[in-house]
Amino acid sequence: MLITLIEKELKAILQSPKFVATFAVCSLLMLLSVFIGIKEFQAQQKQYDVAVSLSEQGIQESTSWRGMSYKAYRKPDPMQIFVSGLTNDIGRWSHISQESSVKLRNSVYSDDPIFSVFRFIDFAFIVQVVLSLFAILFTYDAICGERENGTLKLLFSNAIKRSHYIIAKCVGSWLGLVVPIMIPILLSVLMVIAFGISLEGSDWLKLFGLMSMSIFLFTFFIVLGVFISSLTRRSNISFLFALVIWVTFVLIIPRAGVMAAGQILPVPRVAEIEGQRDAFAKDKWAIFNEKSMARWDSYNQNTSEDSDSSCGSNFVFDENELWEHMQKEDSARKIVEREIEAYETRLQEDLQQRKSGQERLAFSLSRFSPSSAYQLAAMTLAGTDINLKSRNIEVMNNYRTQFNNYVDNKISETNDLSGVFMIEISSDDGVKMNNKRDEQTIDASDMPKYIPAKSSMRQSIDALIIDGGLLGLFIILAFAGAFLRMQKYDVR
Amino acid sequence: MSENILTIEKPRLEAINLTKRYRDGVLALDNISFSVQPGEIFVMLGGNGAGKTTTINLFLNFIEPTEGEARIDGIITHKDPLAAKERVSFVSENVMLYGDFTAVQNLDYFSRIGGQSEYTKDDYRDALLRVNLAEEAHHKKLRGFSKGMRQKCGIAIAILKGAPAILLDEPTSGLDPKAGHDFIHLLKSLQKEGKSILMSTHDIFRAKAIADTIAIMNNGRIIMLKKSSELAGCNLEELYMQYMTGHDGQRLAG
Ligand SMILES: Nc1ncnc2c1ncn2[C@@H]1O[C@H](COP(=O)(O)OP(=O)(O)OP(=O)(O)O)[C@@H](O)[C@H]1O
Ligand SMILES: [Mg+2]
Repeated sequence: MLITLIEKELKAILQSPKFVATFAVCSLLMLLSVFIGIKEFQAQQKQYDVAVSLSEQGIQESTSWRGMSYKAYRKPDPMQIFVSGLTNDIGRWSHISQESSVKLRNSVYSDDPIFSVFRFIDFAFIVQVVLSLFAILFTYDAICGERENGTLKLLFSNAIKRSHYIIAKCVGSWLGLVVPIMIPILLSVLMVIAFGISLEGSDWLKLFGLMSMSIFLFTFFIVLGVFISSLTRRSNISFLFALVIWVTFVLIIPRAGVMAAGQILPVPRVAEIEGQRDAFAKDKWAIFNEKSMARWDSYNQNTSEDSDSSCGSNFVFDENELWEHMQKEDSARKIVEREIEAYETRLQEDLQQRKSGQERLAFSLSRFSPSSAYQLAAMTLAGTDINLKSRNIEVMNNYRTQFNNYVDNKISETNDLSGVFMIEISSDDGVKMNNKRDEQTIDASDMPKYIPAKSSMRQSIDALIIDGGLLGLFIILAFAGAFLRMQKYDVR
Repeated sequence: MSENILTIEKPRLEAINLTKRYRDGVLALDNISFSVQPGEIFVMLGGNGAGKTTTINLFLNFIEPTEGEARIDGIITHKDPLAAKERVSFVSENVMLYGDFTAVQNLDYFSRIGGQSEYTKDDYRDALLRVNLAEEAHHKKLRGFSKGMRQKCGIAIAILKGAPAILLDEPTSGLDPKAGHDFIHLLKSLQKEGKSILMSTHDIFRAKAIADTIAIMNNGRIIMLKKSSELAGCNLEELYMQYMTGHDGQRLAG
């Protein structure tokens, strides 16, 4: 009986006229998005290869250890084909040198702002927006539509368990929608292979994870549609209802989560932090100045007393005493400077902490929507998540330490004075500027190699467990809702 | 499901003090009782809102009785609805089937749902021919069917289920005169197979032509219950009008 019911749902979907059209549009969009993703990735990969070899060439051609600088590039990740995430928002490279600190520059969007207007349409976007709509479109009238048609009455004049009916609705719709959608999904993976994009073992796992999450989200919207169809008796009301819920889940909650987090856990702006620091510094300096004046007065008094006792109007300048006073003043000033610096560090740390707290809250809130849970998991799996920047900066900073140590060693080893201008003064030639070992290049073959950051498997697994589990929970809730509603549903 | 026409003592369909008050307070059925024997055709007559559909819905457990019970083969429908529904076929006043499926596909699906999974294509063809649905329509999608064509499919489904009791709610509405006539013959032949038939209609002449028992309902009550033998020779339409006005007069007076 259950099999018959499931079979019918499956047939009903596959035979419905809207199926072919909708399915074709979804497949086309999905394949197109992956195609664009591949092209974009290949362009970035090429740019990356050229840039890295240029950067290495630059090192080989440099003539001096001093002022040596390396350009470290963020490596494009093939997973960004499917989920571009933040990859286009974040700078592609940074200087690694003793002088300047690590800072990522030249993001795709900053170079070509036109793209940032509409952003890239990627696979994850198609799943999140188009596929979810596709699912809802086929299931919003699953039950109320049958009631309106009158088939529900005929159906339940037979000995059918309501639980079987609702299970069949969900399973049948699932099979009818998920199995066909596997075709474009598999085709897009094949396309990646056909375009010769090399994926490592971990990439395959992540890709598999991403596809599973996509199917999970799709499943959720299928079951949600069935649930909504059990809440109303008329399909046009259920359609409106489904649309409102879809907009809430896909468009509102993800944004509202972030906005609410901003309200609940406000994070001070940079200008505010600077203002706080300046105010603190001003106070400190005011106190210092006051004290300094007092000290100067007492110093003057002491010296004038001394001079009084000796020769009257004849002022004797005690150089040692003044020097001592100046030194005291100087160390007092340094103490104040350190205090201000420590205060600023505290402010920054506090800011970072609040920022990550806000981030956590924002993500927790937006996870009330399965689509943002999906989005977060997809970005983590693709390594284009919110940590993309910090992950790269951390690796670059570590490398910078290595790089600087290496360069320092080289400088002391070779007693390198290159880059330092020597000014020789001789009676014969007059003044002569000399840059030692000008033409000779240095041997940097043993320089530590820069290994670009890659998203960790561990994070991906965490995302799969947390967000996958969350999606699973949402599916169970929607199914439980539909199941309970069906028990009492008036079939007339 | 052995049916024995001779066991008159055991009614197949039974309404016992059946009462239904809807949630909005409307008393749709007021303590009605009747029974239908195997091989009997029981016809409910009555104006709009008399409670005919409510009675049939109670037998199908689409709604629960406020008081009393409906029984099919002794099974109380709201206590064991699944077992009760195995013993009954249903044709609604406006049969609706799946528009994207053909007539045969619909028959196949509902037969399986009704517990009959061993029918062949020929069985479906025969059933559709038995209800006079032209053969060229058998493999057309239901979407384009007229009301009468759908009604015929609904009756074919009811026949194919092979249940001992058949409930029909205004089944002839939408049938052309020829089809209505054929339908009466069809019911007669089902009666000969021992089926118990409970049917509501507004068609007094057809009711008289086929009914073994006629109940006239008004305001949720059975105001007349007579065997066709008792009605032989009298003008049913006149009787119906008498009962209706008389009852209304009574109500107005009271
Ligand atoms: N779901 C419902 N909720 C409230 N009242 C209802 C409901 N269904 C029917 N009724 C009321 O119950 C009474 C009996 O209705 P029922 O449909 O059984 O009449 P009927 O004899 O089938 O009429 P018709 O010949 O028009 O089909 C009517 O007064 C109707 O208004
Ligand atoms: Mg009715």
